[in-house]
Amino acid sequence: MSLLFEKTKEVLRTLLPVVILVLLLCLTIVDVETDVLIRFLVDSFLLLIGLSVFLYGVDLSMNPIGEYMSQEVATSKTPIKIAILSFLLGFLITVAEPDLLILGHQIQEASGNTLSSSIIVYMVSIGVGVLISLSVFRLLRDKPSYSAFMAVIYGIIFILVFLVSEEFLAISFDASGATTGALTTPFVLAISLGLSNIKGGKNEEENSFGLVGAMSAGPILAVMLMSIISGQKHIQGDAGEYVYAEGVFGPIISMFPGILLESLIALLPITILFFLFNFIKFKIPKENLKGITGGLLITLLGLAVFLTAVNSGFMDMGRIIGIEIGQMNPWILIGIGFLLGLIVVLVEPAVHVLGEQIEEVTSGHIPISLIRSTLSIGVGTAIALSMVRIIVPEVKLWYFLIPGFVIAILLSFIADPVFVGIAYDAGGVASGPMTATFVLAFAQGAATIIETANVLVDGFGVIAMVAMSPVLSIMILGIIFRFRHKKVEYPIVAKKPAVTSHLVDEINLEHDCILVIVNRGFAEKVVEVARQSGAKGATIMRGRGADENQKVMLPIINIELQPEKEIVWFIITTDVSSSIADSLLNDRQLEQDGEITVFVSPTEAMVRTFSTIHVSENNE
Amino acid sequence: MTIIETLFFTIVDRGKANAVLHKARECGAKGGTILLGEGTVQSKLLKKIGVTELHKEILVISASEELSDKLHDTLCEAFSFSKRNKGIAFTIPFKRWHKQTSGQEEKISGNSSYEHKITHYCIITVVDKGRGRECIKSAKTAGARGGTLIHGRGAGIPTDFYFPLVIEPQKDVVMIITTKEKVSPIRERIFSDLDLGKAGNGILFTLPITRTSGLFEDRFGESKEGTS
Repeated sequence: MSLLFEKTKEVLRTLLPVVILVLLLCLTIVDVETDVLIRFLVDSFLLLIGLSVFLYGVDLSMNPIGEYMSQEVATSKTPIKIAILSFLLGFLITVAEPDLLILGHQIQEASGNTLSSSIIVYMVSIGVGVLISLSVFRLLRDKPSYSAFMAVIYGIIFILVFLVSEEFLAISFDASGATTGALTTPFVLAISLGLSNIKGGKNEEENSFGLVGAMSAGPILAVMLMSIISGQKHIQGDAGEYVYAEGVFGPIISMFPGILLESLIALLPITILFFLFNFIKFKIPKENLKGITGGLLITLLGLAVFLTAVNSGFMDMGRIIGIEIGQMNPWILIGIGFLLGLIVVLVEPAVHVLGEQIEEVTSGHIPISLIRSTLSIGVGTAIALSMVRIIVPEVKLWYFLIPGFVIAILLSFIADPVFVGIAYDAGGVASGPMTATFVLAFAQGAATIIETANVLVDGFGVIAMVAMSPVLSIMILGIIFRFRHKKVEYPIVAKKPAVTSHLVDEINLEHDCILVIVNRGFAEKVVEVARQSGAKGATIMRGRGADENQKVMLPIINIELQPEKEIVWFIITTDVSSSIADSLLNDRQLEQDGEITVFVSPTEAMVRTFSTIHVSENNE
Repeated sequence: MTIIETLFFTIVDRGKANAVLHKARECGAKGGTILLGEGTVQSKLLKKIGVTELHKEILVISASEELSDKLHDTLCEAFSFSKRNKGIAFTIPFKRWHKQTSGQEEKISGNSSYEHKITHYCIITVVDKGRGRECIKSAKTAGARGGTLIHGRGAGIPTDFYFPLVIEPQKDVVMIITTKEKVSPIRERIFSDLDLGKAGNGILFTLPITRTSGLFEDRFGESKEGTS
C-alpha cells in the first residue's frame, strides 16, 4: 500500500464524518437548495483528492526543505547569521500568505483606511520573523525552558490586552490564525523537527515542537502594537452583503485559477530561498532535487484543489446551516457548533502533519488518536462557547480568552514537557483553512440572523477561540501524562569530546555485532560506557517497547502506553566485544533504570578494504 | 551451549506491529521493541508516479529458538505472511548476554550449532542520512529484492559552531535480507557504489539468518522458502 493511498485513507476517515453530519442536517432540519448540496458533495470529493495530494507533496518537498534550511541555521558559526536567517524564514513564509492579505484588507476597511493593508501585512510578517528568530535561539541554547519563554511572551500580550479594544483583541488573535495557514504550518513544523534533530540531546523530543506556537504569538503582538500606536480603537462598518454562488461546477471552475495563483505566490518565497541556498551551499544531488521539485509541484496542485473545494462548497454550506439553525432555535446552535468543531478540526491539513510528526518523534509512544480526540474536544468547546457569545451579547470574548490562556500557561509548568510544545503548536494548527472558511461561515451565518450579534466582531472572535482552546485541552492531557504511573529519570551524561571518528580504522578482523535495548534517554550513557571499554562508534535508533512487567498507564483515562526505547548498534572487534558487553551489564544505573538488554552476534563487517569479503567468506 | 537464543524480526505495514506483538505474546513471547521504518515499492507503475516510500514497522522480539519457530508458524498463519506484501519475518541468532555467564563465555563466533541452518543473510548498511535510498538502489541492481530503511543517529561528535552543539549525525540504517548465494555480489556492489572504502562514508556488516517467512525472491510469487 503506497503512502499516497494511506494518506487518502486517512483523509477519508476524517472527512467522512463531516460529510455525514452535513447530509444529516440537510435531510432533516436544514433546507438547502439542490445545487448547493450537490456542489458540496462534489467539493468534498475534490477536498479528499486535494488534501491527500497536498499532504503527500508536503512529505516530499516541505520536509526535506525544512530539514536543509534548519541545518543551515543550526550550523551557523555566528549568532548574526542565525538571527538573520531565521528571521528571513519567518518573514518570507508569512508575507506571502494569502489569508493574511485578505485579513489586511478587512482591517483596512474596518478601520476606515487609517491602517493600510500592506503595513499590516509587513508588520505581522516582521512579528513572525522576530519570534521565530527568538525561539530558534531559545531552542539552540536550550534555555530558558519553553514554558517560561511562552509565559513571558503571553505575559506581554496580556499587558497589551488592557490597552486595546475588544475588536482589536479579536482581530489580533485572528491575525495569528491567518498566518498559520495550510502551507506555513507544515513548513515551520519541519524546521522545528530539523533543528531539534540536529541539536539532539535529551530534550530532543521537547524541542521538536513549539515553533508554530511561538510563531503565532507574533501577529498578536504586531496587531496589538499597531492598534496602540495608531490610536485606532474601534472598527466601523459591517460585513458586506454575502453573495451565494450559483450552479454546481461554475463556482468551482471560476475560483480555481485565482486560488492557484494565490497558492503559487504563497509557495514562491520558500522555493526561491531554498533554490538560492541550494545554488550557493547545499548542492543537493540532481535526483534528490528532482524529487523536491516534483514535490513542490504536487504540493501546489493539491493546495489549490483543496482551497478551491473549501472556498466554493464548504463556505456556502456553513453559512446556510448557520442561518437556518439560528432561525429555528438559537440554542440548537450551541450543540451543532460543538459537533461541527469536533469533527471539522480533524480535516485541517496541519492537524495531519502534526500527527505524523508526533508519531515520528515519539516512535508511536504518544498515540495520535489521543491527541486528535483532545484537539477535537477543545475545538468543539471553542465553537460552542463562540455560539453562546453570539446568542448572549453580554458574554465578551475575553471572558474565555484571557482565563483560558492564563490557565494554559500555569499548567505548562507542570505538564509533561513534550506536550507543552505540542499544545502551543496545536493552537496554530487547529486554526487553519477549514476553520477559517467552514466554521467561520457557520458562525457568521448565525450572527446575521441573531439581531443582537455583530457579524464582524463576533465572526472575528471565533478563530481566536479555536486558537486558544486546543492549547488548554492538550495542556491538560500533558498533565495527565505527567502523572503516568511509571517515571523514567534520565541519566546525566558528562559531555566529553570524542577523539575518534565514527568509523573504525582496522576492520579486516572479525567483528561482533552488539545490539543493546534500553529505555529512552540512556543511549548516550550506553555509548559512553562502551567507549570507555574500547568501542568507537555506534548507531542509535528510536523505538517503542512492550513488556509484560513494564506497563505505563495513564491515570484517569486508563490508556496503556508503550514505553519509549532506544536501540544501540555497535560493530566491535571480537577481542573487545565481550568486555564491552560485560561492562554494559555491570553498570548499575543502566541495569536498574535503563532496563538494559544486550545481544551479541558474530558479523562480517566490511568497512575499510575491499578484500574484507574474501577474508570473511572463509570464516563462514 | 544448549539453548540458542535468537532475535526474531518482523517487518509489517505501519500500525500492524501492535497486533503482531499481541499475537506473539499469546505464543509466550515476553515483550518486544517496535521501530518505525520505511520499505521499498515493488510495483513499477507506482514507481513511475513517484511513490517510493512505504511506511513499515519493525518488531524485534527476543526469543529462544523453539519460541522463534513457534512464532514463525503462528504469525505466518495469523497474518498470512506467505502471501505477497503481507509482511516478512526472520530470525537472527543472537547471544543474549547475561551477567552470570559472562565470565567463562567462549567466543560465540566459533559456534557451529546453527551454522548449517543459515539460509539467508541480513546485510545492514549504516550510511549518512539521505543515502539509504541510494544503497537500496545499488543493492537491487545486484539482485536484492528490496530493503527496509530505519532512521537513526550516530553517537555524538562535538563541533565548533556558535552554539556548542554535540552534533549527532543522522544516519540511515538499511536492512537487506537476501539468500546466501547473493550476499557477496550485493555486498560488493553496495561497497563500491557507495564508496564505503573511504573513511566516513558508512559501514556495512552482515548477520546470519536461520529462518525466514514471507520472503519472495522472484517476481512471480513462487515462494522459494515460505517456511524454510
